[in-house]
Amino acid sequence: MQLKGRILNKGYAEGKAVVLDRAFSFIGDFDTSTGELTIDGHPLFGVTIANCIFVIPTGKGGTIAPFMAYEAKKNSKAPAAILCNEVEPLTAECAMTIDIPLMDAFGDDVTKVIKTGDFVKVNANTGVVEIVNAV
Amino acid sequence: MLLTRQEEDMASGKYGPGMEKSIKMLIKFGDIFKADKLVEIASAHIMPKEPIELLLEFTEGVESTQVFTTTHPLMSAFDANKWQKQGIDEEFGVKEEALYKQRSAIYKRLGIYETYTCLPMLAGNLPLKGQLISWIGTGNQVLVNSLLGARTNRDGTVVNLCAAITGRAPNLGLFLDENRYGQFLVNISSEINPHELSPIDVAAIGYYVGSRAGNYPVVIDGLPSNFSFDDIKGLVSLSTSGSTCMCHIVGITPEAPDLKTALGGKKPKETMTIGKAEIQEAKAMYQKVGTFKVDMVIIGCPHCTIDDAKKIASLLAGKKVGINQRLWLGMGAQTYTLAKIMGYTDIIERAGGVVANACMATTPDSPLPKGVKVVASNSFKTAHYVTGLQKGKVQVVLGSLDDCINAAISGKMEVKN
Repeated sequence: MQLKGRILNKGYAEGKAVVLDRAFSFIGDFDTSTGELTIDGHPLFGVTIANCIFVIPTGKGGTIAPFMAYEAKKNSKAPAAILCNEVEPLTAECAMTIDIPLMDAFGDDVTKVIKTGDFVKVNANTGVVEIVNAV
Repeated sequence: MLLTRQEEDMASGKYGPGMEKSIKMLIKFGDIFKADKLVEIASAHIMPKEPIELLLEFTEGVESTQVFTTTHPLMSAFDANKWQKQGIDEEFGVKEEALYKQRSAIYKRLGIYETYTCLPMLAGNLPLKGQLISWIGTGNQVLVNSLLGARTNRDGTVVNLCAAITGRAPNLGLFLDENRYGQFLVNISSEINPHELSPIDVAAIGYYVGSRAGNYPVVIDGLPSNFSFDDIKGLVSLSTSGSTCMCHIVGITPEAPDLKTALGGKKPKETMTIGKAEIQEAKAMYQKVGTFKVDMVIIGCPHCTIDDAKKIASLLAGKKVGINQRLWLGMGAQTYTLAKIMGYTDIIERAGGVVANACMATTPDSPLPKGVKVVASNSFKTAHYVTGLQKGKVQVVLGSLDDCINAAISGKMEVKN
């Protein structure tokens, strides 16, 4: 299955999808040394997004988040790509700082179309996202 | 996006790889959020504690920043010159001190002026009404937009660094008139005498409103126009609990001589009234009723002004901080020097207080001394961050400046309903 979206930061990545159901920040919601989500009480607490295709509705504040994303990348614990419904400034800044593919505006709610565990190919050069293996 | 010849040259690498990387970041960022151009900014205030490799990457080949740039190098509770007195763990202290020196050398090479305070406007970097700037620190972003009428966006740390290096920022968000007008109106209830609002009440209003206003610029109508900087600096709590960093205080904000102007002649999207119950609700988040044994008192978020120093000295004169208590005060280097001349810091230090130029909201990498279980503070921002970052290991009790200093002396704080 293929999705078309808006290219925000170019590049190509593929991997297992992790889909979060709420706005995300690299500070507070994420551990830069393990790549794990650290949202208290959330079902995905402790799940790693390192080298995964990370799917979120949108991002949220935390102006120091780009430094956190950079630390994660240095530790090889950053996501491989970020897909979202609607980008906000800090998510864009983080993705550009570590230069990973970033796309938004898929028409349908991307957090519903893609499921955690799907194997996904993100081509942010052509604007096409392919769900190769759905769970 | 429309670029000038000089900006194109920067992007082509003519001014070195760091300049190229920085301007390309701003162009790409501006394109995503539909900026028509880059604009030259009047000043930058950047975040220290960059990962060293990132700082080296973005400054490679850069001789100096293209605009007057400041940074507060101690934007965490760790003070590189006072950590032993602060009681901070040695292993952590030695490591951080080395990193601090490494970054400081880069700042000096780039001509960046180190403020040693989180309030650069009190220490040589004073933006004026209408000026476009890129300032880091969500508290500062509230203060410059709302009290000075200068214009900064809620930039992240990397866009902000790029703005300092290039002297430019994308023309968007709060740079534009139409995005600054108030959309979330807050009225002060007639049951409150606004002249009797204490600094902690004002901070409580900011904390309450911030979490409800979303991204809307806020207008607060009904605060006395003779409130001083010290009376309202606690409003930094607005961006601690929320994401807006524009708050018109009618009669004080340069852009808000009256309500109509603050709203841009339009009807607000939402309206809220703040009464005694709302202020109490915000305070109750960090202020449980009862008597608390206090291990540590943290004052100075935002940094203490000279008037704070004077008040603290008068409360501590002839007294001693209890042997089981610690008192940390955050104060800018310039204010500290002045307070020293005035004799205030001698009184404070003789009583056992530690005055640091560091940040008193204690970011995650700033460990509190061992054994600290209960912290008293007069700052919502400190209460918010210490509670969150210490993950339940430390309890924070809010009190007035007087209550907090008395708690440092007696080791007890009594909170009444």
